[in-house]
Amino acid sequence: MTAQPDLTLDLPTSERTVGRPEVEDFLYREAHLLDTWQLDAWLALFVPGATMEVPTTDNRGWTPAEAGYFVCDDWDLLRARVKRLKSRKAHAENPRSRTHRMVGNVCVVAQEGAELTVGANVVVHRYRDGAAFTYVARYDHRLVVLPDGLRFVLRRAVPVNEAMGPGERLSFIL
Amino acid sequence: MTPTAPGSAPTAPTVPPGTPVPPGLRAAPPSAPTGPDAADKVVGNSMVRQDWARSTFRVHRSAYRDAAVLHRESDRIWSHTWLYLGHETEIPEPGDFRTRTLGGRPLIFCRDQDGAVHAYLNACPHRGTILCRETEGRTKHFQCFYHAWTFKTSGELAALPDKAGYPADGFADGLALRSVARLAVHEGFVFVSFDPDVPDLLTHLGAAADYLTMTASIGPRGMTTTPGVQSYAVRGNWKLAVENAMDGYHFAPTHNTFVGYLRETGFAVTDDDQYAYDLGDGHGLVVLTGHNGRIGMIWEPRFGESERIRTEQKRAEMAERLGADRAAAVADSSKILYVFPNLLLFDLEALTIRQLEPAEPGATHVRAWQLVEVDEPAETRELRLRTMASFVGPGGLATPDDIEAYEAVQRGIHATSGVGFTGEVDPELDWSDMSRGMADEKAARPGRSIDEGAMRSFWRHWSRVVGEVPGSGPAGTGVSA
Repeated sequence: MTAQPDLTLDLPTSERTVGRPEVEDFLYREAHLLDTWQLDAWLALFVPGATMEVPTTDNRGWTPAEAGYFVCDDWDLLRARVKRLKSRKAHAENPRSRTHRMVGNVCVVAQEGAELTVGANVVVHRYRDGAAFTYVARYDHRLVVLPDGLRFVLRRAVPVNEAMGPGERLSFIL
Repeated sequence: MTPTAPGSAPTAPTVPPGTPVPPGLRAAPPSAPTGPDAADKVVGNSMVRQDWARSTFRVHRSAYRDAAVLHRESDRIWSHTWLYLGHETEIPEPGDFRTRTLGGRPLIFCRDQDGAVHAYLNACPHRGTILCRETEGRTKHFQCFYHAWTFKTSGELAALPDKAGYPADGFADGLALRSVARLAVHEGFVFVSFDPDVPDLLTHLGAAADYLTMTASIGPRGMTTTPGVQSYAVRGNWKLAVENAMDGYHFAPTHNTFVGYLRETGFAVTDDDQYAYDLGDGHGLVVLTGHNGRIGMIWEPRFGESERIRTEQKRAEMAERLGADRAAAVADSSKILYVFPNLLLFDLEALTIRQLEPAEPGATHVRAWQLVEVDEPAETRELRLRTMASFVGPGGLATPDDIEAYEAVQRGIHATSGVGFTGEVDPELDWSDMSRGMADEKAARPGRSIDEGAMRSFWRHWSRVVGEVPGSGPAGTGVSA
């Protein structure tokens, strides 16, 4: 259960039925943009007002309104995060981590009009400073259907790890 | 008692005359350039070297690297000092429990059916099995799955299967969960010691106690931790995390992007006229007035207009409840409090409790809780949690750069381990410098937040408690973990 973003869409939406292949294409494209650090193009996958969340590893359904989170960015903070990551002064990601994402088990959980709930499993291998890190997570996103494609309304990555191990920071986009 | 090196006196809070004395701290006469420390340049062991004549202070890098040092710390510090275990509000109801490792020992932190708080070694008295394998929950009993020995939350034996197989003369009478040697609570903060022979908690906390009290008095109905614990680990020595928290010098360069973000929201960060304090016994404090607003106390634009009005009301409520002076002390400055050895309390735009747990010389586990006001409005609670998460933790906009700093130090200090460039090992290369502001300290001038005085007071205490570690330090073998 997550908080509903307060979103007033000023965009034409579509109620066409979206199948799994379109969601897969969307998530694969996102993975490519992140692995190649094309952050402006990645941010364009969100509608204005969208949010991004990474709950802590002990989360039992608590929302960012009631619990500590690793990441609970509103739209302002999400844009600030991208701006930061593009800066050479984002020391934690300068030099940038090498990441490699495998997205699988993609499914459309529900569609209601133009609102889409999708799920997927993701494994991110991250390499930096001579060390390798593996992040295992579940995607639990809310998308909106536009005539020309899909956009994030809520991008939520739920870590499966029991805790973030030594060096396993979330300085990149999980 | 807390182990100290022979001949060392208890450390008094040393705030030089003229320093803006933070509330709760007594001004003390300067103690810097006199005494045995000045004579032999060695404070408590050879890994910490201060030279008042040259105004230099250095720490030998083996202190961060050597397994022998961590082993000695495990004995001298983690087994013989009060440690922060957790907050009472993590286990609010009878039967609530949490398990966590502290000082390398797995523990059960729980509240019994009568409401009393306990900390038990999480090992069955029978054969040592982890007794409680959940990380949190609520229970009436702790039952070992291996042979079904069962204990009440108060620690007493509840069931011993096939009791007839044991001696009849009271064998079972002595069976109980093994408690930590000491447990005490100050303002909801629960501390334990594995050594029964330590001073009372308030004696240990000293000048730090009142800062915990100040933070605890922010909410008219008290403070509580929230669910959602950040549990992560860094590839750096635990003392690097302490240094980083007491080090205002790093803020502007390390957090350049976060400072830029605040500027864009309409808040200009400044380091002017802010100070750091030695609270004695290794505890330290940085008082900040130019780094951030404080939710409910000092408004800044990113908190939004409705919070501006609430801030005026809450600040007035605090003045009425606490008195004008005390309210000012609590509300009008941010504080980073370090309680030796494993507690950091960040009382900033919002509040975070951070606990350090060394795993290896180059690895430290961190747990971080959000601390919030009981019964605050839902929108304030959400703002508080969101604001704090934007800064702290491995996914924040600032902490990852701190983590990068500890990890880069931990990697870098291997460069100078047992090397020299003239064919022989040059022992002068293998030191880290913490001299900044030393001349001011010597002259009894205020220790600025952007100096390194609070780091020096930590290291002085550390060196006295740890003492000499054979094989480590400038005379050591240079063999590192």
